[in-house]
Amino acid sequence: MRVHVRILASFALLIGALILTLLVFRVPIGEGLRLIGQGAIFTEAGWTRSAVRSTPLVFVGLGMAVAWRAGMYNIGGEGQYVLGGLAGAASVSALGTAATWSPAVPILAACAGGGLLAGLAGVLQVWRGIPVVISTILLNFMVLPLQEWLLQGPLQEAKGQIPQTDRLPDSAMLARFDPRFDLHAGVFIAVAAVLAMAVFLYRTPAGFRLRVVGLGPRAARAHGISGDRVRVWAMVLSGSLCGLAGGVDLTGLTGYLGTGFDQGWGFMGIPVALLGALDPVGVFLAAVYFGVLVAGCENLARFADVGSPIVYVVQAVAVLVAVGLQHWRFAPKGRAEVELG
Amino acid sequence: MAVLEVRGVSKSFGSVQALENVSLDLRPGEVHAILGENGAGKSTLVGILAGFLVPDSGTVEFQGVEIRYGHPTEVREAGLRIVHQHFMLVPQFTIAENIALGNLRRWENPYQCAAVSEASDLAERLGWGLDLESRVDQLSVGSLQRVEILRALIGGGSVLVLDEPTAVLTAEEASELLAFVRARRDEGMTVVLVTHKLREVFDVADRATVLRQGRLVATFDLSCTEPDVLAEAMVGGPVPMASGTLRAAGEEIVRIEELIVESDRGSPAVRGIGLSLRSCEVLAIGGVDGNGQVELAEALVGIRRSSSGSIQVSGRSIAYIPQDRQTDGLVLEMSIAENILLGQSLREWTRFGILRMRQVLEWAQSLMRRFDVRAESAIVPAGALSGGNQQKVVVARNLHRVPDLLVAVNPTRGLDLRAEAAVRKAILECAAQGAAVLLLSTDHDEIEALGDRVMYMESGRLVDRLVGSTL
Ligand SMILES: Nc1ncnc2c1ncn2[C@@H]1O[C@H](COP(=O)(O)OP(=O)(O)OP(=O)(O)O)[C@@H](O)[C@H]1O
Ligand SMILES: [Mg+2]
Repeated sequence: MRVHVRILASFALLIGALILTLLVFRVPIGEGLRLIGQGAIFTEAGWTRSAVRSTPLVFVGLGMAVAWRAGMYNIGGEGQYVLGGLAGAASVSALGTAATWSPAVPILAACAGGGLLAGLAGVLQVWRGIPVVISTILLNFMVLPLQEWLLQGPLQEAKGQIPQTDRLPDSAMLARFDPRFDLHAGVFIAVAAVLAMAVFLYRTPAGFRLRVVGLGPRAARAHGISGDRVRVWAMVLSGSLCGLAGGVDLTGLTGYLGTGFDQGWGFMGIPVALLGALDPVGVFLAAVYFGVLVAGCENLARFADVGSPIVYVVQAVAVLVAVGLQHWRFAPKGRAEVELG
Repeated sequence: MAVLEVRGVSKSFGSVQALENVSLDLRPGEVHAILGENGAGKSTLVGILAGFLVPDSGTVEFQGVEIRYGHPTEVREAGLRIVHQHFMLVPQFTIAENIALGNLRRWENPYQCAAVSEASDLAERLGWGLDLESRVDQLSVGSLQRVEILRALIGGGSVLVLDEPTAVLTAEEASELLAFVRARRDEGMTVVLVTHKLREVFDVADRATVLRQGRLVATFDLSCTEPDVLAEAMVGGPVPMASGTLRAAGEEIVRIEELIVESDRGSPAVRGIGLSLRSCEVLAIGGVDGNGQVELAEALVGIRRSSSGSIQVSGRSIAYIPQDRQTDGLVLEMSIAENILLGQSLREWTRFGILRMRQVLEWAQSLMRRFDVRAESAIVPAGALSGGNQQKVVVARNLHRVPDLLVAVNPTRGLDLRAEAAVRKAILECAAQGAAVLLLSTDHDEIEALGDRVMYMESGRLVDRLVGSTL
């Protein structure tokens, strides 16, 4: 698969770009690479952190991929992620013990929350012609005050001091494997989601229709596929995956929802999806790529005295490397070829 | 002295050798036909001339200067004008905007430019009624073709390359175009004409080059060549003719009354049509493209709402060959197998909710053999096929079994002689086995050859024959 070759090649290029970035930040290269490697891969703390960081990226990346494949440019992963988390927390607080027999309840609630929000944007587009590119980004801004209000009102902790929820009961949390590390069972959900989405897109009638609507809307119409219905459902599915990311982070990682819940995963899902060529396995590899970088740079920022901006710089460099690589592949001699059929 | 010299050009796509060591020279002031069956490499050659495609080896010299590849505008400005087989227009733009695109002088207002007024004069001269303010995605393929040709013709140029320009034009429109081509030739222009229609070749061309499987068979001087010789060189044998067997029409499958259908532009395109169609019957409807044929077809197959009137279809399975294979017919990025799957009942190919892609693939391969789709395998994307082979995929998808109703718009567009005969035969076989067939075509011969009843469409109405200038 070309996609995968591309990602592997970009790893190599990335190392080069990483070295340049370190030079710019005046971090000794050997020391910097060592910190990144240790923080992301070569220690138990490192690779588990990478896995945990990659997990929400897998979900959001898949979510973006699904919507974009249907021609719906969902860029509201952030809002859908947060609303997912809020819905998860709300389900536990509202249902009480009924909801706490298993993390499945908050996780499903999270899917529903994200799915509803994105589905709303989808409906607005097919019904009123409001492009999802615009509505999803505006809906992001509506989730923020909602979060603020919920954290100071209905969902606030019993003590009522900080704008955050109470910790979820242990029974509503995903399993952890080692108390020293954050690694949680959500990683398996992510892998399962990748496989499920690959099967869905390439091997089910609904996935087939979704791809047809995205690639050939007129051909879809000529063959009796209702583009509008497919587009709305693609948005619902996309939002559910973003919501799932929030639900899994809530039940696996944080255990409560505060104002810092939103870490920008929703936006980072977009480059993940693009770098992964909107292909589930590609998205998985791209998510790992970014997850590893984030984990490594967190470690670098903590120990190398460079501050946290380096995390964002490296992410940006990573995206640029990937984009540049795409061009390099498509026009090997700097000349464009066009398919004539 | 040659204006355009192709020397030893080869081009391959993956393992497909589209052109192999082709050499050719064009003399000033000649019409040179390029012939060959579907997939012979004609469009690939055109793409190389246009500077779009980069040959693996060989060179092209235009007026003694080697073409720089990857710079199509340079080629155009040097005076080499190309009309590609498939449309290269911006769908969201109007005709005028598309014509302005690429023809603007510096600082010129795109809405009042010389190119557009020249194009509108030219359209008038050719007798092509085109509303330059209509959006391109709302045009029929016939109009699109005319826009492409106009775009290439304006602003002079010394060589004109036309890749199957007449595939969707009626005989009358085609002869107007060819008369124009002849006039330009007499003014000293060189014209390259890719076509499958031998009549046109003998009508206008001075010489003809035949390609077969990427190789140059021979270049003929047409003043001393028989049509049979050319046909033989093209397909390597005599071409069978499609002929119908006598059939008795059966029960009524379609009944349309007082039908009014709007076009995308919101104006009525079908204005009060009534017809009845029986099984085993072929109703052929001719006429200039853009007179409501597509709207009628779409309303009949149920993808366009009618504004009034009634359509009753008693058949269960409906097959539909749409007018434009590249937008309505196929998803170019998807594989041949997936394209064939499109339009089948997906449930039949699903088990436990999973599509049985292996079976689909095998089935698609067998259909490719049956309908002579030339490609390496069924996983090749449809966009990598030659135009005629794309058309065969659309046909295969619809004619692999006998439908109750077949609605076909220009089903043999862009097919070579042999493939055309095969598709016509397949349509007649469908009818013989009980299908009701509504054939909408701009090809007069096709209408006459296939139709049990022949009617024409003019301004949204059905008439028994066309009057006035249009026929
Ligand atoms: N972009 C592409 N990728 C892969 N194969 C291609 C591509 N373009 C053309 N081909 C192959 O090259 C061969 C020649 O194609 P070409 O389009 O030149 O045929 P053609 O003579 O124009 O046929 P037609 O009469 O059907 O238009 C075909 O086998 C086709 O499948
Ligand atoms: Mg061609």
